[in-house]
Amino acid sequence: MNIIVCVKQVLDPEIPPAKFKIDPATKKVIPPPGVPPVISVFDERAVEAACRLKDKQGGKITVISLGAAQAAEVVKHTIAMGTDEGFVLQDEAFEDLDSFGIAYVLGKAIEKIGAYDLVLCGRQSADWGNGQVGSILAEIMGIPVVTLACDIEAADKKLKVKRIVKDGYEVLEAPMPSLITASSELGLPRLPAGMRIMIAARTQVPVWKAADIGAQGPELDKAKAHTEVTGLSVPSRKTECEMISGDSPGQAAENLAAKLAKLL
Amino acid sequence: MDYFLTEQQNEIKNLTRTIAEEQVLPVRAELDEKEEFPSEIMKILADAGLFGVYLPEEYGGLGGGILDLCLVVEELSRVCSGVAVSYAASGLGTLTLLQYGTDEQKQKYLPDIASGRKIAAFGLTEATAGSDAGGIQSTATPTSGGYILNGTKQFITNGGEAEVNTVIALTDKSKGPRGASAFLVDKGAEGFTFGRKEKKLGIRCSATRELVFEDCFVPEENRLGREGMGFILTMKLLDFSRPGLGAQAMGLAQGALEAAVDYAKQRVQFGHPIFAQQAVQHMLADMAIDVEAARALVYATARMIDGGAKNFTRESAISKVFASDTAMKVTTNAMQVFGGVGYMREYPIEKMFRDAKITQIYEGANQVLRSEIAFALRKKKW
Repeated sequence: MNIIVCVKQVLDPEIPPAKFKIDPATKKVIPPPGVPPVISVFDERAVEAACRLKDKQGGKITVISLGAAQAAEVVKHTIAMGTDEGFVLQDEAFEDLDSFGIAYVLGKAIEKIGAYDLVLCGRQSADWGNGQVGSILAEIMGIPVVTLACDIEAADKKLKVKRIVKDGYEVLEAPMPSLITASSELGLPRLPAGMRIMIAARTQVPVWKAADIGAQGPELDKAKAHTEVTGLSVPSRKTECEMISGDSPGQAAENLAAKLAKLL
Repeated sequence: MDYFLTEQQNEIKNLTRTIAEEQVLPVRAELDEKEEFPSEIMKILADAGLFGVYLPEEYGGLGGGILDLCLVVEELSRVCSGVAVSYAASGLGTLTLLQYGTDEQKQKYLPDIASGRKIAAFGLTEATAGSDAGGIQSTATPTSGGYILNGTKQFITNGGEAEVNTVIALTDKSKGPRGASAFLVDKGAEGFTFGRKEKKLGIRCSATRELVFEDCFVPEENRLGREGMGFILTMKLLDFSRPGLGAQAMGLAQGALEAAVDYAKQRVQFGHPIFAQQAVQHMLADMAIDVEAARALVYATARMIDGGAKNFTRESAISKVFASDTAMKVTTNAMQVFGGVGYMREYPIEKMFRDAKITQIYEGANQVLRSEIAFALRKKKW
């Protein structure tokens, strides 16, 4: 089974809020110095899903990441988890792409990779969180898409997907190839094992430019201009602390319960 | 400080930290309280491939060296020294085989050790032989096809848990230390049993037991090195392993420092966090200086060994003495920062303080190592 996983490198969400800075003029996030970016958590779930399928069925997992040259680190992380090879898509022409543009470029890269049975993405990115690339990519490639998967099984050229809905899950069947986006409910991604770390450390991740995958010219320009960021601001967080009192601990607990009930 | 570790070393350090924080931290107090060997954690470390970080790739290892071993020990010890020493003692039981074993011996044992399917132990100490390793009484009497082992090894880390035991015994009693040889003894060999499990002050989850040999037959192919080389191999082994012990002490000190800093920032007295007190600041700063110096020494020594240096007895001893004295000093002062609550079992400092003491004692008491350093000084030409 050939699986392609699309992963994104994002700002480490574990950084303290005070370190998160934006430039209001250019409407861009300023990466904090000294904090290495990480793989988007949802994409890590997608990699985990791919690895689980590979554990059961065998096959090959190819990872692609569109971003800066440092995205190679993220690809290497997935190799340490158990994927087989990866490519970084980096070009000046790819800067400032929105969901449509990104999906277009990823589609071109997948075209170049060739045969596949399944494409996996995270349900959304951990930074901008648009949650659109997966669906648009499926549309471009003309294959079915199932979003928010928490479990994937493959048998007889078909995929059985558990998909998260508001009050539980539904089970869908999809043909191969399809595109599936992975949700957090899939479970924790595996830790890399030492031997895989060694393999990953020695892997050179090739960088594909626009010309390498034929993502250029008017087609790319057309893919570019769908959305515009009109404003970017850091939400202000205010915490207020109210001490709930009572004559006895029991009374205080009752007062707290009453207060919480009112808030709900 | 940036020590310019390789990409692989950084990943291994991060992986070990994740395992330590996610798997060891939640159970460390319980393991300490119950004095229970951390079998499950050993399994997790094995699955992660960490038992093979310092072993060659041809035997299923990751091809690293003593520095890689030190990084794993440091990160484990930062959270729990008992777990760290259980991991590290397997390395101690393996290094002699790695350096002086024949190809057949390595083929037979190393892949299982690298994968963590088998852990190892090293047995030297006896009731009559502690710092004076030459005082061992255990015998390995030559017989047809091998040797008959008799005697009792004491205070053996991983005793009873280890499948592979490197044991030193006298093949020729008349020659004293020059009559000692090293053997690999499999758990389950006839005549090989385990004595009582010791109750300890610290590192309580690690298994410390007697290895008892009563007419235990060991085939000749399990002898490591030549007959009579046992004592020399042991001295060499300890030169190799002492940076690992230094890493254990330094990682422990790092854990205590972090705990003390966190506590000083949140403990309010006289209207301010006690971190605002210059007296406390300077204590914390001194702790940080000592921990960083210990780390620099341990890494530098490990790199010297990995770089292929011939003689590093002095450097090994220096890194172990400094790091272990640092561990004792830093945990003592960390407890002082915690004040009364630090003395209570509910807080982790009390355990770290108890765990620290052994690092000044085992793998060469610091006084003996100071004598070794002085011996090297006397011989040195400036």
